[in-house]
Amino acid sequence: MVLLDNITSVSSSADYLPIGIQLIFAAGFVAFMIAFSAWVGPKRKTSDKLQTFTSGIPSHGDARHPMAIKYFLVAILFVLFDVEVIFFYPYAVNFQDFAADITMKWHTFYAVLMFVGCFLVGFIYIIKKGALKWED
Amino acid sequence: MQTNYFILMHHELIIAITIMLLLVIKVGSDKLSNQLVANVTNGLLLASLVLGFIVQPEGNVFGDMFHTDGFALLQKNILVAGTLIISLQASTWLKDYEHTAEFYILLLSTLLGMCFMISSRHFLMFYLSLELSTIPLAALANFDLHLKRSSEAALKLIISSAFSSGLMLLGISFLYGTTGTLSFGEVASAIQLNTPLQLFAFVLIFAGFGFKISAVPFHLWTADVYEGSPVAVTSYLSVISKGAVLFVFITVLFNVFALYAHSWYYLIVIVSLFTMVIGNLFALRQTNIKRFLAFSSISQVGFILIGLSGGTHTSAASVVYFIVVYIFSNLGAFGVIALVQGLTGKENINDYKGFYLNNKMLSWMLGIALFSLAGIPPVAGFFGKFFLLLSGAEKGAYWLIAIAAINMVISLYYYLNVVKNIFIDKSDTSIEKLPIAIQPRIAMIICVIGVVGSGLCGGLYQYIFDLVK
Amino acid sequence: MSQTPLIQILFLSVGLFFIGMYGLLTRRNVITILMSIELILNSVNINFVAFNKYLYPHQLEGLFFTIFIITIAAAEAAVAIAIIINLYRSHHSVDVEDANELKW
Repeated sequence: MVLLDNITSVSSSADYLPIGIQLIFAAGFVAFMIAFSAWVGPKRKTSDKLQTFTSGIPSHGDARHPMAIKYFLVAILFVLFDVEVIFFYPYAVNFQDFAADITMKWHTFYAVLMFVGCFLVGFIYIIKKGALKWED
Repeated sequence: MQTNYFILMHHELIIAITIMLLLVIKVGSDKLSNQLVANVTNGLLLASLVLGFIVQPEGNVFGDMFHTDGFALLQKNILVAGTLIISLQASTWLKDYEHTAEFYILLLSTLLGMCFMISSRHFLMFYLSLELSTIPLAALANFDLHLKRSSEAALKLIISSAFSSGLMLLGISFLYGTTGTLSFGEVASAIQLNTPLQLFAFVLIFAGFGFKISAVPFHLWTADVYEGSPVAVTSYLSVISKGAVLFVFITVLFNVFALYAHSWYYLIVIVSLFTMVIGNLFALRQTNIKRFLAFSSISQVGFILIGLSGGTHTSAASVVYFIVVYIFSNLGAFGVIALVQGLTGKENINDYKGFYLNNKMLSWMLGIALFSLAGIPPVAGFFGKFFLLLSGAEKGAYWLIAIAAINMVISLYYYLNVVKNIFIDKSDTSIEKLPIAIQPRIAMIICVIGVVGSGLCGGLYQYIFDLVK
Repeated sequence: MSQTPLIQILFLSVGLFFIGMYGLLTRRNVITILMSIELILNSVNINFVAFNKYLYPHQLEGLFFTIFIITIAAAEAAVAIAIIINLYRSHHSVDVEDANELKW
């Protein structure tokens, strides 16, 4: 233990051992994964192998046929608006405390109103652009 | 309390109001003239700039997350002025463009992010504003919507910036784990020497910064993104966004990691060495002028890092001074390139042969800008580099200064090669006389005054130096 | 009930980080690269939450950082996917090796 104290007090290179281990771990992981997957992975690329597995039912067509862009658009917009709702959570949790405090009450309310207002303008912009128009 | 916010954050507020205004205008009517949008934006930017020089408050808001003082205000003014110049230069390109309002909304969002970033004194604020200043940039890089190379550039930009912010975040999380706080001041006082995890965190954060300023091991995205993006976005990326990140880098290095000064000195010296040499060597072989300026800007970052390595007030002042000079000279060069590219579509260095015959004023502009970038005495670039090297020499690394001097000579070769193309070489297919609209003309005049004036007016460096203290 | 030691959680997050890094550097499909970036960001989230819970249970900074990382990751993914759609429109592929117009 005394020895260990000495080591730390003079700050030898042993202090950087964890960094070294992490670097080795990083490099080793990548090297291992590349080597392992090349070693274990199958290399037979027959036409049967490359076909989609459909439980015996003959497959028809290709899954990569062009999809309408509106699916992506709506999905992206959904994710954005969905995730931003997370910011209401801290407000909702602390709502009662805020309501008790006479100055904080309106202060926080205006802050949330501003947040919602920014979103509303964005939302109106999306509607105006016709991004949510489903039928052509 | 309430009025305090408005005064302390006047840059950010004006920019935010401009963004909301543009959005509302755009929502209100689809058919509004591009000229109107550009004029409104330029007017408000100018107002923000003027206000920034008049009202100089000092203080903290948001629970000390946001700090502003004279130095931060100066940095914001520099960025706003640069954005204003770019906006004026882009008017040729934006004249018939259908998404002008969106262009300005995204551009100003990044500017807003940068202003917050400069003032941030908390890692959460810093991360938020960093992302606000990089994500819209990727969308901006894609603004030549029909060109494949533009989307490609945007893809490379967003993936490399997401990756770099991932690295930086891992570093911040380790910093949080070891110190238990995220505000710059408390982290700085809680940091201890010889904590391996903190050193690792520092390396990760440094790598994140390295990506954003395109220092050499992390520079691979730079040239591709610069070449593929529209010229206005390229010039924005190369000066404004780089400048903003460098400003914050000064704060993070000198304040937060002050205790590690001994460690990061060597890191920065090595990185700056590689940045200069590799940036120069790749710049030598470029034929596309945007790509050429990309590599030249990488090597300029190397010089800036030499200045940073000093770690004193002098080096902070010299870096800020150099960025002022660099903004003027690089924007001068990009202004001409934007004009040529916008009107003729040519962007190879060979296309500039015989440029002087028909376009005397543009040639002189480009020539002065390139002289300044090369660091030739009468123009400001020389003084900028001189102060950088001077503050780098404070730690006694004269061999580093010698290598930097050699690199300046190498860079002289390729800058003068372009100048030779413009002034001396003859060509049958030289570019016709280009009409210059009023806005680019104003931007050009500002750039020339800036390049010549900031070198001759000795008070500027003193002014910056006084503010740093 | 015994609590999981902090070191195990850190191992998990570092492992996740490097899996993400590995995916980022080796995958050729742009969507998969984006997923790898999400992995990197989520490993950071685990770090923050673990540090907050184990070392500094009296404060909330780490948790709030996580919330912001999640939202920004969503915004980043949205912009990236918009760019990818645009790229797909112009040359009908999401393979990074087909994005080869800009070199050297």
